[in-house]
Amino acid sequence: MPEITYLEAITSALRDAMRDDRSVFMIGEDIGHFGGPFGVTKGLIDEFGPERIIDTPIAEEGFVGACMGAAWMGERPIAELQFADFIACCFDAIVTVGAKTHWRSGIKLPMVLRAPYGGGVRGGPFHASSPEGWFVGVAGLKVVAPATVEDAYGLLRSAIDDDDPVLFFEHKGLYRRLKGEAPATGTRTPIGKSIVRRAGSDVTVVTYGSGVDLALRTATAIEGAASVEVIDLRTIWPLDLEPVLESLGKTSRLLVLQEAARSTGAGNLVLSRVAREGFELLDAPPALHAPIDTPVPFAPELEDGYLPSLDSLTRALRDLLDY
Amino acid sequence: MPEPFVTIPCLDVHGVTRETRLALFRLVLLQRIAEERVMTLYRQGRIPGSVYTGRGQEAVAAAGGLALDPTDVIAPLNREMAAHFARGVTVGDVFRNYLGKADSPTRGRDGNMHFGMASKDVFPLVSMLGDLCPLIVGAALAFKRRGEARVALTFWGDGAFSVGDVHEGLNLAGVLHVPAVFVIQRNGYAYSTPTTRQMLNTSITERVRGGWSLPCEEVDGTDAIATYVAIRAAVERARNGEGPQAIEAVSMRMEGHAAHDAGNYMDQDEKRRYETERDPVERLAARLLLDGFSAAEVDSHRQAASDEVAAGLAEAELSPAPDPASLADGVYAQPL
Ligand SMILES: Cc1ncc(C[n+]2csc(CCOP(=O)(O)OP(=O)(O)O)c2C)c(N)n1
Repeated sequence: MPEITYLEAITSALRDAMRDDRSVFMIGEDIGHFGGPFGVTKGLIDEFGPERIIDTPIAEEGFVGACMGAAWMGERPIAELQFADFIACCFDAIVTVGAKTHWRSGIKLPMVLRAPYGGGVRGGPFHASSPEGWFVGVAGLKVVAPATVEDAYGLLRSAIDDDDPVLFFEHKGLYRRLKGEAPATGTRTPIGKSIVRRAGSDVTVVTYGSGVDLALRTATAIEGAASVEVIDLRTIWPLDLEPVLESLGKTSRLLVLQEAARSTGAGNLVLSRVAREGFELLDAPPALHAPIDTPVPFAPELEDGYLPSLDSLTRALRDLLDY
Repeated sequence: MPEPFVTIPCLDVHGVTRETRLALFRLVLLQRIAEERVMTLYRQGRIPGSVYTGRGQEAVAAAGGLALDPTDVIAPLNREMAAHFARGVTVGDVFRNYLGKADSPTRGRDGNMHFGMASKDVFPLVSMLGDLCPLIVGAALAFKRRGEARVALTFWGDGAFSVGDVHEGLNLAGVLHVPAVFVIQRNGYAYSTPTTRQMLNTSITERVRGGWSLPCEEVDGTDAIATYVAIRAAVERARNGEGPQAIEAVSMRMEGHAAHDAGNYMDQDEKRRYETERDPVERLAARLLLDGFSAAEVDSHRQAASDEVAAGLAEAELSPAPDPASLADGVYAQPL
């Protein structure tokens, strides 16, 4: 099997979904001939034409709202944001129309919003955020964040199949760094199922998106000193906590790792639910390893210290194990 | 002594059939009578939450609904009850929603006119003004993509015209050249704020034409026949591939913003004049008399609408209250 990147997996999922289903189309800024700011849609216009790869004016409220109207009429639109930070611009359409319509009326709004998120690319306060936490807890939405090449493909295919609005947070830092075997055409990763990525017995790291790669690298680095179990949430809302509680039955120690600032993100919901549902399983206070509550800084000296790293995670794990 | 005000009949537009005139009459009457009933129920404490009427704007609602073909789709706001009726939503449905019944269109999850019906291709009202503009553009985009000769229509007020989503939606509609029709109700007020304090240029027609380069026609929104003709023509242009169309329907909100608002800030003399000269229901009734219908015939239509409203309410009152145990049903179309 050939190796492909996380970015290529997303492109393949888009291509395969559009080949399989006429009702799938894409809309976003500069996604046509230009291929989007990261080149995710490059080449798709050659195969599918401008009727299915639609360049729009700069209008996040407009084109995300339009996706909901098209979805009402039975289409399966996929909108691309240039950066996840711009999800603030279409927040209303997502949480007001997208989230509440089915519950109020039974009308389905099958649409996917792709949001390239995350730091490590010197994007600064407006191009490196992890805003996924804003949507955690919003009834009616599904929020996914793939951490592997296989899931980049499989979760996107499932998101496109899904009858609810799905927010797809794809990590910019993983786009070209992460490589893996090309997933078989048509592979689906189920939405709403977290997964154990690495088995261990001393401590459970619960994370998603870019945190998974970091946790796995750190687990390998400290292999001799501690046995780390890594759980990838994959779907961060609604949360699938079962595998976490099962794991804590074994390790009794929990560290939640996320790239979103410490008071937002998906991690806090994991912590509160473990406090309520898994208190008796714990031997130490659960830890949260996440950046401080500021916007993402630009200068390398600042951003590198802000984001979780192999060193900082190693220290955090050591503190937890030493408790 | 000032001249007494008299009702100005609707213009006689050639080509609008007697059937259409009567259909419009039924719709404006149903909205007027149902809303009067709703107001009474509200004052009696029988309706939870709030009540918004479209008194003075019924003609626009009726015309917008009736101008569509059965396969078209619509997203009305809360002044447009008659548009729901034109699509086959019943008086019973409206009362069930007002009363928060288990079998209401929203199953008691939302109240008043905050509903739609999937089966009638009526999108449920979204309170966040402006949101329905891009949404209807998207529905129209679906029609264009599939090559279907269908049209998507929505309404909003002069106040909502200031919301950013409206700009994005109109611009997108133009660039994508989709069969969408926007009916903008200039009723003089946004809650308590007059249109003159919402925008420097209060001609929405000028702004739509100049700002977004879209066709827009101004029409007297208290004249059901003229409004019907204007919207119907816009719908047909959109259907024929001429792209998005707008209508500015000028009227007056004849009551406060909602049942809790007496509208004391409105010009009372102007309102009194309007109530007589430009009441959309009476203007159409006066037209029908000029058309040769007898007073008894016109009255029989009033009675029929009144009976339909009474029957709808009686039916709605029999419906059960929603069961709290069902609340989580339908959060997701595809539950995990
Ligand atoms: C974005 C937004 N802001 C505020 C409100 C609260 N609100 C509801 S109706 C209204 C006035 C709307 O005026 P207009 O659009 O002219 O419609 P009308 O009430 O005259 O029919 C306001 C401010 C809202 N629904 N949406």
